[in-house]
Amino acid sequence: MGRYLRLYLKFVRFSFSKAMEFRLDFFFRVVMDFFFYGTQLAFFAVLYGQTQELGGWDRSQAFVFIAGFFLVDAIHMTLFANNMWMLPILVNKGDLDYYLMRPVSSLFFLSLREFAANSFLNLVLAVGIFAWSLTQLSSPIDLGGVTLYLALILNGALLYFVLHICFLIPVFWLQSARGLGEIFFSAAKYSERPERIFSGYLRRALVSVLPFSLVASRPAQILFEGADSSALVNIAIVTPLAFGFLLWFWNRALRSYSSASS
Amino acid sequence: MAIIHAEKLSRTFTVHEKQPGFLASVRSLIYRKKIIKQAVIEASFDIDEGEIVGLVGANGAGKTTLVKMLAGIVHPTAGTAEVLGHQPWKRSNELRRRIALIMGQKASLWWDLPAADCFLLLKEIYQIEDSDYSQRLDYLCQALGIGDELHVQIRRLSLGERMKMELISTLLHAPKVVFLDEPTIGLDLTAQRAIREFLLQYREDHKPAMILTSHYMDDIEELCERILLMQKGRIVFDGALEQVMETYSPNKILTAHFQSGVDPERLPTAETLPGQVLALDADHVRLQVPRDGVTSSAQQLLVSFPIADITIEEVEIGSVIEQIFRDGHVKDADR
Repeated sequence: MGRYLRLYLKFVRFSFSKAMEFRLDFFFRVVMDFFFYGTQLAFFAVLYGQTQELGGWDRSQAFVFIAGFFLVDAIHMTLFANNMWMLPILVNKGDLDYYLMRPVSSLFFLSLREFAANSFLNLVLAVGIFAWSLTQLSSPIDLGGVTLYLALILNGALLYFVLHICFLIPVFWLQSARGLGEIFFSAAKYSERPERIFSGYLRRALVSVLPFSLVASRPAQILFEGADSSALVNIAIVTPLAFGFLLWFWNRALRSYSSASS
Repeated sequence: MAIIHAEKLSRTFTVHEKQPGFLASVRSLIYRKKIIKQAVIEASFDIDEGEIVGLVGANGAGKTTLVKMLAGIVHPTAGTAEVLGHQPWKRSNELRRRIALIMGQKASLWWDLPAADCFLLLKEIYQIEDSDYSQRLDYLCQALGIGDELHVQIRRLSLGERMKMELISTLLHAPKVVFLDEPTIGLDLTAQRAIREFLLQYREDHKPAMILTSHYMDDIEELCERILLMQKGRIVFDGALEQVMETYSPNKILTAHFQSGVDPERLPTAETLPGQVLALDADHVRLQVPRDGVTSSAQQLLVSFPIADITIEEVEIGSVIEQIFRDGHVKDADR
């Protein structure tokens, strides 16, 4: 574990060195994410201009929820997104070879080797929006609740990564990477909406086989309504199962990796 | 004991056949003709410590797939292999710490970082002790003539310098098995020579088992005592480099110099010579004759013409292997 942490710190250090090389790109990414946050907040502001309540949440609660999602997004963008973007390209071109030769977990290496230093500033921004949204809440919350919420948001970020990479892994069989990322981002919209606006099979799917609602919506629900044991058990069961599925799926995919001729 | 052992190692790939044109593209959405391509067919061999074995074959012969199976990158569809006692495709860390792969056509180093930083990352990945790291880096830099280039971003280095850095990164963890896939491709002659000399020195000092694939016959001739010749996925020859000549070169070159001041009428014409004439003038004749008929042809020349000197040579190995590739097949009887 200590070895992987040391290795990860090296990834972070080198990623910062690389990011500083390209100043324009560095600042462009910050501005781009700033617009993304602004658009999301504006979307909910417009919705609450038309209604007092959405999925059982008032405006201040919806902002905490969406700020929680910003945290998930910023963590994902900082730790995983660049690596996810590269993965289908590496598989498609047969460029995984060297990664598979190194004596470290290939999943760890390929998921975390690029730390997006330029998105790191957005993480700071997301934390700021989150802190502000908490001060706007109409109902009181305690420190324990916020701590549990942050832990569940971190868990949500892990789930979001698992879902993202599981949508990309089929590239090992399909060869063409086209479309896989887009399918994920379309499906990921579900994690930006309150769970209770959905119903029936779709809602059940969103807390089990495609657990997008466990990313930010369910943690927000637990924060507002208290730690309901069934909601926590749901997260505690789905997260390790999703991660276990990822490990199995990854190993199956590596068996099918055909590389490319030189 | 063999460090690398392969037994009936095979790999097939499924590819889709698609006819050209728009209509064919639409049709391929519904129906695709699958073709099973046998990249490697029942490859069996052993390689010992300190051996450099040349893996030789035309493009598409299966060399790279074979190397990638032994390196644990690609799973075989049949057969088995052991590298340092491990099945390579299980990718145990214990094995991966002791093997290395360098591909002349693919960079392993991080493009935007100086080599020194890349090496530090590899030090962490391979858990190399500080003292071993410094000692090995010094040795490799000295042997390859690397100095300040260590601190220059990889993308700013020349191709030759980059390849030297790749070699350093490949050997920093002192692997016992090294796979070299076209390590000199695209390099100028000086850089090619430098890398060959370095590899020989490294073999002398560290005794790893190495498998080398290269299309440059100089690499094969200077580095390998033994070659595996691959054709259409099969290993069609496994043996000493000289043995290739006996197996695949049915002819030898016979050169005779005539005595000076001889009456031109006593000199031979092409029709009277015992072999295929490669060159003929007033000073000498150069003939290609069947391997088993060399002695009689030489005797016939000595008896019939005023010969001052006669030499018998092998056909150049590079030409023989190139001929095999050009023909595109090895005679079934040779298999």
